[in-house]
Order: sequence, then C-alpha cells, then structure tokens
Amino acid sequence: MFPLMMSAAVALALAAPAFAADNRKEVRLDVAPGATVNIVNSAGSVNLHSDNGRQLQLVYTTHSDKVEVDQNSTADNKRIEIVTHALPEQKPSADEARVDYDITVPSGVSVTATTATAPITADGLRGDITLASDTGQITARNISRSHVNIRSVAAPVNLNNLLLDYVDVTSSGGAVQMVNVAGPKVNVGTAGGNITYQGDCSGGGAYNMSTYSGAIDVTLPQTASVDLSARSVSGKVENEFPLQQKSHTSFVPQTGRSFAGTSNSGSSSIELQSFSGKIRVKKQ
Amino acid sequence: MTCQEFQEVLPYIIESGGTADQEGHLRECQSCSELVRDLRYIAEQAKLLLPMHDPSPRVWAGIEQSLARGGLVSEGRTSRPGQIKTITTQTKSWTPLGWALALVAVAFFAVALINYNPHLPATQAGAQNNSAQSAQVDGDDQQLLSQVSDPDVRRAYEDNLREVNAYITDAQQAVNRDPQDAAAHEYLLDAYQQKEMLYQMATVRSLP
Repeated sequence: MFPLMMSAAVALALAAPAFAADNRKEVRLDVAPGATVNIVNSAGSVNLHSDNGRQLQLVYTTHSDKVEVDQNSTADNKRIEIVTHALPEQKPSADEARVDYDITVPSGVSVTATTATAPITADGLRGDITLASDTGQITARNISRSHVNIRSVAAPVNLNNLLLDYVDVTSSGGAVQMVNVAGPKVNVGTAGGNITYQGDCSGGGAYNMSTYSGAIDVTLPQTASVDLSARSVSGKVENEFPLQQKSHTSFVPQTGRSFAGTSNSGSSSIELQSFSGKIRVKKQ
Repeated sequence: MTCQEFQEVLPYIIESGGTADQEGHLRECQSCSELVRDLRYIAEQAKLLLPMHDPSPRVWAGIEQSLARGGLVSEGRTSRPGQIKTITTQTKSWTPLGWALALVAVAFFAVALINYNPHLPATQAGAQNNSAQSAQVDGDDQQLLSQVSDPDVRRAYEDNLREVNAYITDAQQAVNRDPQDAAAHEYLLDAYQQKEMLYQMATVRSLP
C-alpha cells in the first residue's frame, strides 16, 4: 500500500506544473450593436458561436505562463480586440503558445479571426465573418444572411449549411468542401486545393469556382435550376448531370475540356474553371 | 519555338549545334539551356571514360596467364605476346570495364532525359505539371518565408508559393500565347490574387 501511495504522490508532484500552467479565464465584454470583434490567436483553437445576449462572452485557456491574452475595447464598444501574444523575453514553444478560445458573440456583431495553426469553428453566427488561417482547419456552419469571407494558406475549409450568404473563399492549398451552401454570390478560388460542392445552388445566385491544379467536384440534385459552364485549359472536364445544351455560349465547347448547359429554368449561374485540375459535375 | 519543339531536335542540337531559332530558344529558356549544358557535359565525360580506364596490356596478359594456370583455359590458347598486343588494340574501346562504364554513362544519360521536364506552353497538356515541378521561390519569397518562424507553417507557405508561382508562369504563358483570351487574363489575375493573399497573410502574421 505504501509504495502505491508513494507512486501516486510522485506522479501528482510531477504533473502539478502541467496543471498549474493551464489557466482558464472567463471575461464578459460590452459590445455595441454592429460592432466588430477582431481575434488573433496563433495556436490552440478558436470556437465561435452566437446567442441573443448583449455581451460578448470570452472563455479562454492558456497552457503556459509565457503567453497572455489582451482584450481591448474602444470607448464606444464598437471595436473589440482579443489578441494572444507572448510575454516580453519569452519564447514559447508551439505547445506553450496554445490558447483555446470559446467565444459567444451577440447577434449582429461582425467577427474577424486570424490564426496560424489553430482551427477555427464558427457556428450559427449572425453577423459578417472573416476567418483566416495558415494551416488550421476552418469550419463555418449554420450561418445565414451574412458575408462570409475565408482565406487559407493550406487550411482545409468546410462550409456547411450557409444560406443566403455572400461567400468568398480564397485558399491556396487547402481543400474547400461545401455542403448546402447557397446565396446570391458564392465565390471560391484555390491554387492547388480541391473544391467540392454538394447542394442545389439555389437562390438565383452566381456561383464561381476556380482552381489552378486542384479538382472541382460538383454534385447537384436533379431539381437544381442552373445555368452551368465548365472550362479547363488542360484538365479533364466530365459531366454526368443532365443538361440542356445552350444555343449560344461565350466560348466554343470542346469535348473533354469544356461544356455548358442549363437545367430546369437555369436560375442560378455556375461557372467552373480550372487551369489543369479535373472538373466533374454529377447528379446527386 | 516551344520547349517541346526544342526537345524533339535535342539530339541534333547536341551533336552539331542548332539553328538560329533553336539557339534563340536556348538563350531565353533557362530550363532548356541547363539541360543542354548537362547533356553536353555527360557526353564529354562519357567519351573520356573508355580510354581513361582501359587497363594496360600487361593486365590482360596476367589475367590470361592466371586463367591458364588455373586450368580455366588451355595452355594452347594462351596468347603469345604478339597476340596480346593485337587483342589489346581491338578491345581498347570495348573492354569489360569500358562496357560497364559506357552502360553507366548511357543509363545516366537516359535518367537525365527521363527526368527532363521543360516548360511547355500553357495550352499543351501537362504544362502545369512541369511548371509546378520547376517553379521556384524567388528572393522576395525567401524574404517572406524568413518571417515565418513555425517550421510547419513555413513549409506550407513555401509549398503554396511554389504552386502559385507555377500558376503565374502558366497563366502568363497562356496570355502570351493569345493576348485576346479573356479567360487567360482571368487566370493570371486570379494567380496574382492568390500570391497577394499569401503575402498578405504572412506579412500580417509577422508584424510585432
């Protein structure tokens, strides 16, 4: 029994510094209607969600004493800055630099979040959002009637259930996956990242997806009402979706390289462009 | 002249030099000029290999005598000194060692050709792959990368800068090929926007 207790005591003593380094804090900030919140957090995670309150609720956990979180508000509470930074003379390791954020944002407040490796999740926000990450996965879901602007270097981007939104995604190497994304303007561009779209492109919007070398995969239900064109300079273009051929197009369709056509009344326009990546359109 | 056209006449160019058009391409295209320089060097070295490593007649005589002593060849077949000289003359270029070295040189030459990936015009299939492989990060890119401290993130930036640079190269070639092609201009603009985004994101991160 005694050796067991000794072992437990030693284990606790060894683990104590690690637990001591974890520091959870909760802060409430007054936010004016229509305010902007700017979040910068290099590593860790950023979770954003919305509620009907009038205050922004920030819960964060640091994992070392080498970093701290600053919160600054302007006098009119129209602009809030939440920034993670290293303390002077400290050089935190990647693990020590981690800070986990959980932020509840009042309705109608715009959010900008920037990270290096930290994943960002925005769920149900009711304001314009700008999310940018180097390599941390970006997820936006259940957002409507907003401007959603996303930028990624190599971060995968997942968009799910975004309705009536203006969506603009620029991703260099990160794959962009969209499920039920619809709005007046959906614009996605990548260099090497693949683009996947699954939904009906409803709402009479303009959907533009372009890539340099990534693949574009679009899956539409038969009920989709679209005016679709797909072109690639040197990539393969395949269509398995029933389209009525258009009598006039702005380019000369070339078998295997481009096609154009309409489905139902053709209310939404879809333009798919790749330089060398494969484009495939299929029926759901 | 395109890289592909140039590649088709490559053996002729290496053998006897090219036409003014081909020479012009050689001056303008770094990829092709490097390839020609490498191939000429290999060819020169291959020529030098055979005589340089040809063993002396005494070696062949010694080998033959050893084989005879071991009973592997009959005494009657032992070469006389005069014969040895004749044999040496005949095999001066094609000794077993020479064969081996020649094969190595040919294999090296073949590998160089197989791995050759010229910049092809944008409208030719596979152009993008060649560009992607040969795209480099320039001085500005290097400076930008030096601002990114996390090695994994830096690698992500470097990979994507290469990709975007290849995109710019291919899109620019498409524009050069057909300046009236609106889609090509669109690709070029998009490529530069991609690069602008990388610069902006890296710069924002590096600010104190």
